[in-house]
Amino acid sequence: MALAERIHRILKMKLDGMMLELINRTGEAARKRRELEEKYIHAREMMAVAAMMEGATGVLLAALSVETAPVYRTTGHKSIFGVQLPDLEPVMVKKTLTERGYGILGTSSVIDDAADAYEDLTTAIIASAELEGGIMRLLDEIERTRRRVNALEFKVIPELADLRRLIVYQRDEIERQDAVRLRRIKKIKAKRR
Amino acid sequence: MILPGLISPSCVYACTRFRIRRTKLLAREDYHRIMQMSIPGIVAHLGRQEDYKEIMDLAADFSGARLIEETVNRNLVNSFQRAMAIIPEELHALAEEYLTRWDIVNVMAILRSIVFDIPGRRIHSLLVPAGRLNRSLLEHLLSLKTCDEALEALKYWRLYPVLEKYYQICGERGAFARIENELYMNYYAALLGLVASGCPGCRELFAYLRFEIDITNMKNLLRLHCGEVACDIVTIDQTMIPGGRIPIDLFRQLYGSMTEEEFRHTFLQTEIAPLLARAVRELGQEPGFSREDAAELVWQRWHQHLRPTHEIEMAITRIRLRELETLSRRYPFSVLPMLAYLERKRYETANLRAIARGKSFGLPPGRIWQYIVL
Repeated sequence: MALAERIHRILKMKLDGMMLELINRTGEAARKRRELEEKYIHAREMMAVAAMMEGATGVLLAALSVETAPVYRTTGHKSIFGVQLPDLEPVMVKKTLTERGYGILGTSSVIDDAADAYEDLTTAIIASAELEGGIMRLLDEIERTRRRVNALEFKVIPELADLRRLIVYQRDEIERQDAVRLRRIKKIKAKRR
Repeated sequence: MILPGLISPSCVYACTRFRIRRTKLLAREDYHRIMQMSIPGIVAHLGRQEDYKEIMDLAADFSGARLIEETVNRNLVNSFQRAMAIIPEELHALAEEYLTRWDIVNVMAILRSIVFDIPGRRIHSLLVPAGRLNRSLLEHLLSLKTCDEALEALKYWRLYPVLEKYYQICGERGAFARIENELYMNYYAALLGLVASGCPGCRELFAYLRFEIDITNMKNLLRLHCGEVACDIVTIDQTMIPGGRIPIDLFRQLYGSMTEEEFRHTFLQTEIAPLLARAVRELGQEPGFSREDAAELVWQRWHQHLRPTHEIEMAITRIRLRELETLSRRYPFSVLPMLAYLERKRYETANLRAIARGKSFGLPPGRIWQYIVL
């Protein structure tokens, strides 16, 4: 019972801590999401300008020239209250003009602007995914911890309390029965004498 | 035989036909009218034009802005093929060289599709066979599986030596960009070589092309400088087109400029400064914009690692096209009317494409108008 109560207290503290972390992270995630939306709008506009000046053909040909696809890798994990939050790192997302694969003489600055805008967007998506992925894991853990806290608070501890009460009653009952039995034995012995 | 210095009757005939053809191109009012239309409206409008009738046949395969772009691309190909048919013998080589630009785009797209295993069907719709390499050859190239086979099939192409030179690195990282740059450099060198060999109007065209190279070099220098990581001087050498009026050393000097004073001094030595000042004045931003202001503007963008402004780039293109028009009127029986027509046709295609794409992205008409070259 004492152990259950101690676990309950610790889990409740963990839950509060995780809630505080979640609130902080949610604010940051909302800010990142707004940034992401702004970058998406900017990227669409740059794409519109590139499609206007170079045509869909020019844009597609530049896009097909990309030799190394942008990816992300998990560099490690941050541990928050025992929850493993992913650390994502963009790989070959931001490229120099010479790394992009298209020829400089066959394209114009609108293609560079569109490529820059989409590189920024991809970086923002990875940053946002890292944060939102962390929030999802934190939410899962919060849900799991809440279930544990609730189970301890409303099921395990009350059941243990009931059991303790039952044991006390039983023990008292046994004590009373013993006392009665002893009294009766005493009476019987007295009659025999 | 035509004596040197005399203009052949076929040249007079061709130049007259090009002048007539030029009058058939879309006028400012047509663009104003098209700008008021929706995309289906533009499709219907083009369908009523003699030159763009093909749009109705293409409507089964494409739709929206893609349909318009495909139609104008095909119209460009047909117009260039018809133009080639009337170009006199003595200007044929020059015209063919001018159209090689489209061959480079097509060949590079095909080589990339082979190496990166991109489905040929996808590349097929991107090809614009407006150059020397015709559609059947391009389709044959698309069906090939290896770089070797493609290079073998391109053996008779004028720029094959460049491909052959870089054959070993075909498929290596960054190789295609280098091949593409090298092809364009050869294209400009050959064009300048042909123009320098002499023809009616070639002297003026030579000066025009050299300045065009200077503008392209300056734009590319700004592009190379504006990245987060500055490129090295080797990249500058690999991307600056030789043959312009401004020596490459001056661009190197410009790239190495550390102070505003040094940069402005070097930039003012070029003829780009007055052109830029004129472009800004025409944009209506500042009526009293001088070449010193232009140097200041470029320095600001250079210093802040910003690329050239698209609106100013378009204004420069408009001025250059107008200059070509003026030259073609001044020398009516020369190579200039032919080139002026080809350039105007190219920009007519670009304008219609810009309107269609701009409308499909929902851009306001004022914004689209900034990208129209008239």
